[in-house]
Order: sequence, then C-alpha cells, then structure tokens
Amino acid sequence: MNHWAFVIAAYGLTLGATALLLGLSAVAMRRAEADAEAVTRR
Amino acid sequence: MHRFANPARFLKLARPLTGWTLWPGLLLLGAGVIGGLFVTPPDYLQGDSARILYIHVPTAWLGMAGWSGLAIAGISQLVWRHPLATLAGRAIAPVGALYTALCLATGSIWGRPTWGTWWEWDGRLTSMLILFFLYLAYVALASAERERGAGGEGKMAAIFAIAGAINLPIIHYSVVWWNTLHQGQSIDLVRGESTIDPALLWPLLLTVLGFTLLFCAIVLMRMRADLARTRLEMRLKRQATEAA
Amino acid sequence: MMMRPKNQRLVLVSAALVALGLAALLALWGLQDRAAYFVTPSEIVAGKLEPGQSARLGGMVEEGSLQQLDDGVSVRFSVHDGDKAVAVTHAGILPDLFREGSGVVAEGRLGPDGVFIADRILAKHDERYMPPELDHLETAAETVER
Repeated sequence: MNHWAFVIAAYGLTLGATALLLGLSAVAMRRAEADAEAVTRR
Repeated sequence: MHRFANPARFLKLARPLTGWTLWPGLLLLGAGVIGGLFVTPPDYLQGDSARILYIHVPTAWLGMAGWSGLAIAGISQLVWRHPLATLAGRAIAPVGALYTALCLATGSIWGRPTWGTWWEWDGRLTSMLILFFLYLAYVALASAERERGAGGEGKMAAIFAIAGAINLPIIHYSVVWWNTLHQGQSIDLVRGESTIDPALLWPLLLTVLGFTLLFCAIVLMRMRADLARTRLEMRLKRQATEAA
Repeated sequence: MMMRPKNQRLVLVSAALVALGLAALLALWGLQDRAAYFVTPSEIVAGKLEPGQSARLGGMVEEGSLQQLDDGVSVRFSVHDGDKAVAVTHAGILPDLFREGSGVVAEGRLGPDGVFIADRILAKHDERYMPPELDHLETAAETVER
C-alpha cells in the first residue's frame, strides 16, 4: 500500500482547513472593525 | 483578573498579539511541515505513514486545549463574572470543534494503512468522538442562550463547559486504564521522556508550537470581530434613539 | 462568618467540581471491564471466554510462530502477553504492519479446541518511533538488557 496518498490526504485536509479558517476569520475581523470604525466616526 | 476586563484595554493587547501569534505561527508550522514531510527519515515500522504524527498530535492537543479554555472561561465567568469570558467561549468553541474533527479525520486516515481499519470503538477513539459531540452541544447551547438575550448571559454554557472537562482526563488516561487499539502516549511531559527518536521528534515540536500560535491568532481575530460587531450594534441603537 | 459573594461562588464551583470528579470516577470504575477493547491471552486461559463467544484478542505475535496452513489461505500464529499464549488461526489477508514480535488484535471467536478463530486481524503498534537504521540497534540493546 502506498502510504503517501494517506499522508497527503491528512496534511491537505488539516492545512487546508487551517488556512481557510485563518482567512475567513481575518476577513470577518477586518470587515467588522472597519464597519464599527465607520459608524463611530460618523 | 479584571485588568483585561475593559474591552478597550483588551483590544490594546489583542491588536498587536494577533500579528505576534499569526506570523511566527505560520513560520513554525511551515518549517515543521517541510521537516516532517521531506527531511525526517521514515519510521522503522510504519514507514512514511508515521509522518501523519506531525499533524495528528497538534490537532488532538488543540481539541483538548480548546476545551480547557472553555472550562477556564466558564469558571472565570461563574466565579468572577468576567465580562470577556462569554466572548472567549464563543470564539474558542467552533475552532476547538474543528480541530477535534481534524484529529478524528487524520487519525482515521492514519489508522487505515497502519492498523488496517478506519475506525474502531476503542477507549481513546470513542472518548475523542465524545469531545467532538460536547463541542457541538456547547455551540448550540451558547447560541440558544445568546438569542434568549440578557439575564444569566451564558451561564448554562459555562456550567456545561466545566462539567464537560471531566472528559479531558478520560481521553488522556484512556490508553492507560483500558487496553486499546491506540498506542500509549509517546511523550511524557511530566517526566520529560519521549519514546520518539530525536531524529523524528523535532518537526513535531515545531508543528505543535505553530498550530498553537495559529489557534491563538484565530481566537483573537474572532474575539476582535465579535467585539467590533457589538460596538457597532450599540452605536446604531444609540443613534436610533437619538434620532427618534 | 460571612463570605463575599465572589468567594461563595468560588467555593460552590469547587464543590461541584469535586462532586463531578467523584461521580465520574465511580462511573469509570463500573465501566472498567466493559470499556476494554480486547481480552488478553491470560484472560482466555483463565476461562473468561466461552467457546463460540465472539471477542477481540490482543497481544504480541510470538516470534517464529507464524505458519502457513495446508489449505493455502489460512495462517496460524501464537499471541502472547508475556505470560500466557493462545493459538490463533485466520483465513484471509494480514495487514501490512503485521509482524512477528509486534502487537496484534484478532477479532473472532474461541473455538472448542481452545484455538481462537479470527475473522479479522488488526495490527497494533506501540508508542515508539525511530529511523529504520536504528531499529536493529535498539532491538539488540533490548535483547542484551533482558
């Protein structure tokens, strides 16, 4: 059995999910902080 | 305890901390992954499949550390009424749930080529699956409580987090108390011993540290987003009353 | 003596935690036998299993015990736990990591002759990880220690 397929699947899943969550959290934070800032300044 | 209770004071700390956890975290994780995939030799018995260790162990650690965080937030909310505790719980829970799910998934992927099975109901695997269900219940409970609005903000969720923490020692000692398909622990932090050869160990330290920093970065970003949303809501409400 | 509300809550939470821990400990104590994933050869020799009763048997594959049976598909080997040993037969494929001297879990039932008939074999590895070139050195060191 070729082990590399399993290794790549496990790494891809974990690193992909981590990158996705990081990206989504960063975008959500930027947007929320920008919105809050805009209203405060008004 | 209340030094960081003030959201403004918390934000003053959280803003720089987001970057300080994010970039070193990415760097360490990248180094650990490259090391674990390309630099270390394969295991004498398991061959290349043992490389899954370098991401399976950090996800398990984060799943359990996340629930410890929920329990600590729960205690500081019930005892000290810390105003940021509910916020922290809300920020941590879905992230902890994700890493618990990733731990189960990577373990399953690892089990197939080594044990010869995707899943078995042994003590370690079952108790980890229970942790995942606890996370789902916590998320549901916390959001239901939030929708019901003020009064006992997140008290039920806090109690649930503390009670659920009993599963953490069960997960940890499952491989000691019962005979399991899962092997015993390799690294004894208390005694400082490891049954992983140093040649195979170093990428694990990098990925554990890297994933932990990224976990902190994600939680900080989620808390900041949550605080900003609350600020916006309050501001809009005040403007509406002023206009009326 | 009056306690401040904060300390009162702290005592309350601590008491609840202790009670919860004790309750969990009791529950686990009762569960101990049933939460075991497999039985050991010693337990089988002690008569814990009835013939025909399905179970999992776990232990180490005895060195030099693996043999191919005459029918061409079945294998027979001995599983021990350092004390007692039980013979196992299996008709089918063995997992990649199946090795003499390594851990194994056999799923099946106990035959009337005391031989465990396995329908499925899982490999169990221990918590040691090391590079291939160190393998024989470590094993040699262990043999010397014994």
